[in-house]
Amino acid sequence: MIRRIVLVALGLVWLGPTYLLLVNASRPADTYDPASAWAPSGDFALLENFARAVEGANLAGSLASTALYSVVSPLLGVLAGALAGYVIVVLRLRHGFWWFLLIFGGTVFPSQMLLVPLFVGYSEAGLYDTRLGLILIYTAINAPLGAFVLRNFYAGVAFSIFEAARMDGASTWRVFWRIYLPMSLPALTAVFILEFTFIWNDLVFGLTLTQSEDVRPVMTALAGLMTDVYAGTPVPVGLAAGLVVSLPTVVLFLATQRLFARGLSLGSVQ
Amino acid sequence: MSRPPILGRFGHGYVAPAAVLVAVLLYAPFVWTAYLSLTRYDGLESPVWVGLANFVKLFDDDALLTSTRNTLIWVAGTMALPVGLGLLVAVLSYDLKGGAWYRVPFMLPYALSGAGLAMVWSPVLSHDGIANLLLGVDTAFLQEAPANTLAMLAVWTWQQLGVNTLLFVVGLQSIPREPIEAARLDGASGWRLFRHVTWPLMRPLTAVVVGLALVSSLKTFDIVWVLTQGGPGRNSETLAVTMYKETFVASDYGYGSAVAVLLTVVTGLASYLYLRRQVTAT
Amino acid sequence: MYRSRVATLGVAALVLAACGGNGAEVSQKKTELTLYNDKGAWTKYFDEMGALSKQRIGLGMKPTGYTDSAQYQAFIKASFRTNVKPDLFTWQTGGMLEEIVKQKQVADTTAVWQEAIKAGDLSQDLVPYYTVGGRQYCVPMNVAYWGMFYNKKIFDEHGLKPPQTWDDLVATAETLKRAGVKAFYHTSVLFSFVWFEQLMAGTDPDLYDRLSTGKAKYTDPGVVQVMERWKQLIDAGYFINPGDKTDPGDVLKTGKAAMVTFGTWFNTSMTTRSMKAGADYDFFVIPNVNPALPKTSMIFESGPLCSLTKAADPEAGMKYLKWWTTSEAQDKWATSRGDVSANPKVTIDDKALGTVTKDAGGGKYRLVNRYFEATPPPVLSAALDGFGKFVTEPGTYMEVLESIQKAADEYWSTHQ
Repeated sequence: MIRRIVLVALGLVWLGPTYLLLVNASRPADTYDPASAWAPSGDFALLENFARAVEGANLAGSLASTALYSVVSPLLGVLAGALAGYVIVVLRLRHGFWWFLLIFGGTVFPSQMLLVPLFVGYSEAGLYDTRLGLILIYTAINAPLGAFVLRNFYAGVAFSIFEAARMDGASTWRVFWRIYLPMSLPALTAVFILEFTFIWNDLVFGLTLTQSEDVRPVMTALAGLMTDVYAGTPVPVGLAAGLVVSLPTVVLFLATQRLFARGLSLGSVQ
Repeated sequence: MSRPPILGRFGHGYVAPAAVLVAVLLYAPFVWTAYLSLTRYDGLESPVWVGLANFVKLFDDDALLTSTRNTLIWVAGTMALPVGLGLLVAVLSYDLKGGAWYRVPFMLPYALSGAGLAMVWSPVLSHDGIANLLLGVDTAFLQEAPANTLAMLAVWTWQQLGVNTLLFVVGLQSIPREPIEAARLDGASGWRLFRHVTWPLMRPLTAVVVGLALVSSLKTFDIVWVLTQGGPGRNSETLAVTMYKETFVASDYGYGSAVAVLLTVVTGLASYLYLRRQVTAT
Repeated sequence: MYRSRVATLGVAALVLAACGGNGAEVSQKKTELTLYNDKGAWTKYFDEMGALSKQRIGLGMKPTGYTDSAQYQAFIKASFRTNVKPDLFTWQTGGMLEEIVKQKQVADTTAVWQEAIKAGDLSQDLVPYYTVGGRQYCVPMNVAYWGMFYNKKIFDEHGLKPPQTWDDLVATAETLKRAGVKAFYHTSVLFSFVWFEQLMAGTDPDLYDRLSTGKAKYTDPGVVQVMERWKQLIDAGYFINPGDKTDPGDVLKTGKAAMVTFGTWFNTSMTTRSMKAGADYDFFVIPNVNPALPKTSMIFESGPLCSLTKAADPEAGMKYLKWWTTSEAQDKWATSRGDVSANPKVTIDDKALGTVTKDAGGGKYRLVNRYFEATPPPVLSAALDGFGKFVTEPGTYMEVLESIQKAADEYWSTHQ
């Protein structure tokens, strides 16, 4: 019981700013006053505000591209990471720790410093302003994360599972694909959520490596509204834009909830 | 660890995709930055070789002291709040009936982008904002150091806690049931059960959360950039913000790259030391 | 096994779909130009201009907006070294323009300027801002005059009128303070330089100009006095808290501060908040601190629109710049944003702004280049931080000036 009380109390604290977001994004744009930002508004103008934010912008192509990046790159990244994790821990690759370090090392570079060299390289390789280019860079950024999580996840799996499968005559690839990968579904999903959100909200790579409306991620079209003083955007309009574009991520959270419920642990997969 | 490899040389095929992508798209661009750190360069004219001059300057820069201090606050703070509280929420909720629903409030903020984050929090953190009202104090949260870093850390905790919780939950789920049930039969429960049985068993995923938090907190940039741009008067800069400002705002690519190299070496070294202990142990 | 194959195929299909991006343009004759800019929020207005130009001169335009100007500039500079060259791009006047012109890639627009001045589409006053080594480069994308936006209702309530002299302005602030209203807005983030440049320009515009060319020092007595005056105003309690994150548009609208100083583009913030000029808010020119000066100093800001000689279709770029200066284009550009125009023929809907633009074009004011453009980047970076610190702790002004001068010394020792 105490546990539930603590969780509810903390949860309420967390919902406070979320409440502010909802209330002010739904407030008619002209009635915003920071001094009474906490007070609910009688009118519901969320959709109006959002419509105003994207007025005249052609977001369809941009949304489709963003969806493509946020789904494909994490899938590839997680898969590449899981493969690396599997071979390092389960198949005990020689110098595995160093291979792991090499891959994980990809996370230590400050991404802002990669932008200019990446742009120059991409323009030479013909990858500038292509969807493939963005998928590649997002996958590269995501792979170390997948490798780390899956490597450690597989480290906790009893080796007897592997041995039993091999005894039944399965190839190492088949053991990976049919046993290890399905077994790590919650871990894979957690990584996927992380990476999906990162890409969906990414601004820097999307801005620097693309140019045309159809290839650019959707965030690049909206971020200016929220930060640029030249835009003069009323706060509710900016918030509505921020709120509506985060909806896919929220839907993803809710849709994957049951994977993280107690009962779907390793034991039940065996 | 001493058992022989199973696939021998062919095993490299499995690491290749990740290793190649990372090497080409992340390591290679950084080589350019490392080269620039040894030059004077404004982004336009050709870089002029200056040897270690930029690194010598690092030791003579007061702003860098402030950034280092703030970065350390970010690292310590991230371990205590988003990670520590994230663990608490995970442990409290993972085996509750309907526990996943208790975690929803913590996940929602994670969906919000950086620019949106600043907009949501500005009426809270203004000098006459909601936080002052609630806490009954009259301070401008984003003005004085190190209070402004702590205020931003609070915002960061609000946003990041959920994802740490999620990873901890995965870790808790992956624990085999037998040892826990065995311990229960022996009469262990509550804190003792957690401390002596659960905690050691969830260690692989704890190492992940801590390792990732270590790296990302050393590189803290976005949240500071949208809320204070490192100010006022550079007092809330982190190493990554200093790097960005020197490179892009002041167009001093050489010096900015030197800060980047320093930051990368520190981050690399910290993760190596941490991972060597944690990862080889698992 | 079947399911996993389907999954593999699905991923493969998505990857293939991904390859269908738009590669670099190959064709030389362009019918649509890309306009790179750091005003990501103006995409809508740029799009409208693209539609209009397509209709009028058969040349369309698509904007590619950035949101962080520092990152944008790094990108443009890097593009000079690659084959990805913007057809058109926005930039900054001052040292930044000089710097890229030296790379010999920016297209010379001297002919466009001469013709436009003859036709009355551009004013001679703007020429110096666009001249490097005797030739003109780029054309004005936008212009802005800086002055004071004020909350009309608050002014009326306290029987206040726009001040004619500096003393009037201070008296106005004092009246407001007595009534418990904060007079002025200021901030410690990015726009921390605004009051510095205003006070400098209104006190000694020549010193301001010398400061930006490295011929005067930030520690000179004239500059110190300006900082002391600024400190007095802050100490007197006329300003709101510089750490307030409230959008300045909302600050003025809700009366958190009665006056906000910004460029004429701030008018967009007023119109998007449904405020009526002349009823809810209005605009006045800030009087000089030093009444002995012959002309009122006015901070002036202009952003260039440039093209490159090595772009895919340089002729089309030049054609576009030429069209951009015409009153047909400028009418649309100014009215859609509720802003002013570089073209004197454009009539400005807003009465106060229209008067200012006309007077400025007629030589009534001494135009002073905005600090942001006038100051070289490394010095600017130190100054923005310094002023941010000063507004938070006004007592530190000498320390702040010294730190800016240190950056200036370093910069000017290697430049000229």
